[in-house]
Amino acid sequence: MSAPMPRALEPIVLPDWLRAALSQPATARVAPSSRQAAALAQILNWGLPTARDEEWRWTNLRPIARLAAAEPQAKAPCSDLSVGIPDALVIRFVGGQLQALPQNLPAGLSLTPLSRAHDIDRAAAFAPSAQSRNDALLALNTACATEGVVLDIAANADIQAPVVLDWQDNNQHGNHSHTRLFIRMGAHSTATVLEATQAPENTPHWRNAVSVIEQGANSQLTHISLGLAGDQRLLTDRSFVQLGRDARYRSINIQLGGQLARREIDVNISESGAHCDLLGLMMPRGKQVMDTHTRITHGAPHTTSNEQYQIIADEAGRGIFKGRILVAEDAQKIEAYQNSRNLLLSNTAEIDTKPELEIYADDVKCSHGATIGRLDDEALYYLQSRGISRTNARKLLITGFAQEIIDALPYPELVAQMSAMMQTHMGDAP
Amino acid sequence: MSEQHEIEALVSRDYKYGFVTDIEQEIIPPGLNEDVVRLISAKKNEPEFLLEWRLKAYRHWLTMSPPTWAHVHYPPIDYQALSYYAAPKSVAEQAEIDANRPKSLDDVDPKLLEMYAKLGIPLHERAALAGVAVDAVFDSVSVTTTFREKLAEVGVIFCSFSEAVHSHPELIKKYLGTVVPAGDNYYAALNSAVFSDGSFVFIPKGVRCPMELSTYFRINALNTGQFERTLIVAEEGAHVSYLEGCTAPQRDENQLHAAVVELVALDDATIKYSTVQNWYPGDEHGKGGIYNFVTKRGDARGDRSKITWTQVEAGSAITWKYPSCILRGDDSVGEFYSVAVSNHYQQVDSGTKMIHLGKRTRSTIVSKSISAGRSQNAYRGLVHIAKTADDARNYTQCDALLIGDRNGAHTFPYIESKNASAQIEHEATTTKVSDDQIFYLKSRGITEENATNMIVNGFCKEVFNELPMEFAVEAQALLAVSLEGSVG
Repeated sequence: MSAPMPRALEPIVLPDWLRAALSQPATARVAPSSRQAAALAQILNWGLPTARDEEWRWTNLRPIARLAAAEPQAKAPCSDLSVGIPDALVIRFVGGQLQALPQNLPAGLSLTPLSRAHDIDRAAAFAPSAQSRNDALLALNTACATEGVVLDIAANADIQAPVVLDWQDNNQHGNHSHTRLFIRMGAHSTATVLEATQAPENTPHWRNAVSVIEQGANSQLTHISLGLAGDQRLLTDRSFVQLGRDARYRSINIQLGGQLARREIDVNISESGAHCDLLGLMMPRGKQVMDTHTRITHGAPHTTSNEQYQIIADEAGRGIFKGRILVAEDAQKIEAYQNSRNLLLSNTAEIDTKPELEIYADDVKCSHGATIGRLDDEALYYLQSRGISRTNARKLLITGFAQEIIDALPYPELVAQMSAMMQTHMGDAP
Repeated sequence: MSEQHEIEALVSRDYKYGFVTDIEQEIIPPGLNEDVVRLISAKKNEPEFLLEWRLKAYRHWLTMSPPTWAHVHYPPIDYQALSYYAAPKSVAEQAEIDANRPKSLDDVDPKLLEMYAKLGIPLHERAALAGVAVDAVFDSVSVTTTFREKLAEVGVIFCSFSEAVHSHPELIKKYLGTVVPAGDNYYAALNSAVFSDGSFVFIPKGVRCPMELSTYFRINALNTGQFERTLIVAEEGAHVSYLEGCTAPQRDENQLHAAVVELVALDDATIKYSTVQNWYPGDEHGKGGIYNFVTKRGDARGDRSKITWTQVEAGSAITWKYPSCILRGDDSVGEFYSVAVSNHYQQVDSGTKMIHLGKRTRSTIVSKSISAGRSQNAYRGLVHIAKTADDARNYTQCDALLIGDRNGAHTFPYIESKNASAQIEHEATTTKVSDDQIFYLKSRGITEENATNMIVNGFCKEVFNELPMEFAVEAQALLAVSLEGSVG
């Protein structure tokens, strides 16, 4: 049989410092030991994903591979974003290590460091398992996570104050960290969780995060993720969301800073009446790479989803969006809409988008739209004819486009801060 | 319930092209190695450069593995169990006597002509009436080319590939493999190594081809693969419309069809390539049927050139096919219009690639898929805007219609843009035939079956409008039979 020869096995890309870290004794790691061992074997076998892996074809992890085993440096923390938001409950992590938890929690909310959480909670927090090399970073997190938080929201609790996770990703404790968040919401509860990731300039640090969210019946969660300052900050962050009956999940993902930001949001709608909204804005410029992969699985009838993602890419920035909507067999009466709108402002920038529909039921209304384009010439002309300079006209149009997502944020204080940051990020580029 | 029944009745049709022609065939033993490649080349009395090209492709193929990314499932194919050359004997003998001698219709085995009559191909006088020049490919060998003299008058070359190798080796040498290189992908490499025949079309500078050209492909022999290769070259300002049709006998085994089509359009040239693909799709239990793994690509090389792909995909157990356009010339245009119908256990993974390289290049993609039974129907496409493609424009619309609740409709569009002046729009929808529409039509006295047919035809209209008229009529009829028994 002269059947074609199998393709030579690709070399495993695992930087030396990471391999060294993996061989450290597992004393401080928090995943249940059997899960940890299995995940360790997986990541050693797989290495980091490469462009050959479908989910990573547009995002290169070379910046991670190139990350040097830098000397730990003490750095002053960045400014606190939650300033101005009333009653914010701030949980601060510095270089992946938990600082003090907030005191005086409202009734119905409990916060526990993962390292001190009950075995059952830890098992739930580490429930998702990696299936292929596409999930290698999930395996790495399971193998290496040293800390995290369990957010427990009791049934019927309506937590008005936002829980703010202030991720100060500096390299005080090394060049990489692996954090895990577990949010469990009881039936009919309401909460807002805001994650802000930032680092000082010239501080290379990679945080590989995973959050696992379980929402009970009729619960409502607003989950905000903001990528702020840090020119050498690398973030890979994956969320697994499980929605119970009539539950609502709303994600707002805004990425402005960081050298690399890769977010994956997997929403599993497994019971009727549930709904999710995924909103996102990514503004890569300079040499930034910003990538979001979302997967919404409609596993039960009468469920809906709505997704809007916008990328504004300038200079040599790269923006990537891949959104998949999967409707399982027998999941009838589904409505799912997805919109990927993108502005490409420079010939050295690149935008890649892949809106996918995978549908196995027939009584569905699913649609997606994707556009990549430039600013509307007529709109520019109109503004210029009103005496606004071309530069300002462009700025106005870009701001208007970005503001669609920023305005969806709760709390006027947050909208104002993010709008200002967006303006600064946009700079004075013509 | 009775409505459901009518719909069922509408989808379950018989494959009317499933007959086998009993004709003496010359088949080389199954298996694939360098000797087989040499044998095929020797049988066709090919020049040295072509044999070298085949061997290079074969050696490259050995290093490749079959693609696994498509949304289709099938057991691994044993490439050693297939026979790579089958020819009706009379033609084969004749070919051995004199490969260069032009064949007239009178030399053709009457049994073959009878078969083509059964298929309804306009050979002979019927061809004259229809005004279509036909090149019919039977398994591996091109049987006859009609209307040769009339085309020759204006300088158009339309002949079988193996003839062209002898009569116009310089053109073959110049263009073969320039659009789909020998090692392009697994099936293209296999085809390059063992391709047996196909059609060659050359439209010289400034000529508008006076009639529509057509090829009819048919797989007849058992356990053979069909590997034909089509090459169409339109010189500056030339214009051609080319039609392709395919059928195969009804067999329980799966048969492989791995073709390659290359189109080259120079400055201001237009090529319109239309396909009605109706290979045997297998029975209602998913048994048998053709594996249709085809590489089709057009190179809009010249400025202001235009390539249009129109396809109606109704047959094949598995379709793996992405007719593509490389928009190299400035102001070149690429179009892709497709209707893909799948029923029973058919699997379709089809779409297009539009690679924008030139300035002000434009592309349009309209893809309509209809899935019934337990079939899986996926659109997979790529729109790529290179840095050089200033003011490029793309519009894509992918709609899927679901008939029945045991099938799948999927959309996997890849959109990549590196040029800030480009504009890309993509839209996709997935729905079922609306109950309201059916109710409305029924209340006007139209039966459910006809109502569904009307809706489905309306759904596909945008694509059918792009087909040459004779084909459009055939396509509508094909759609109706393909969906027989499934609509609801």
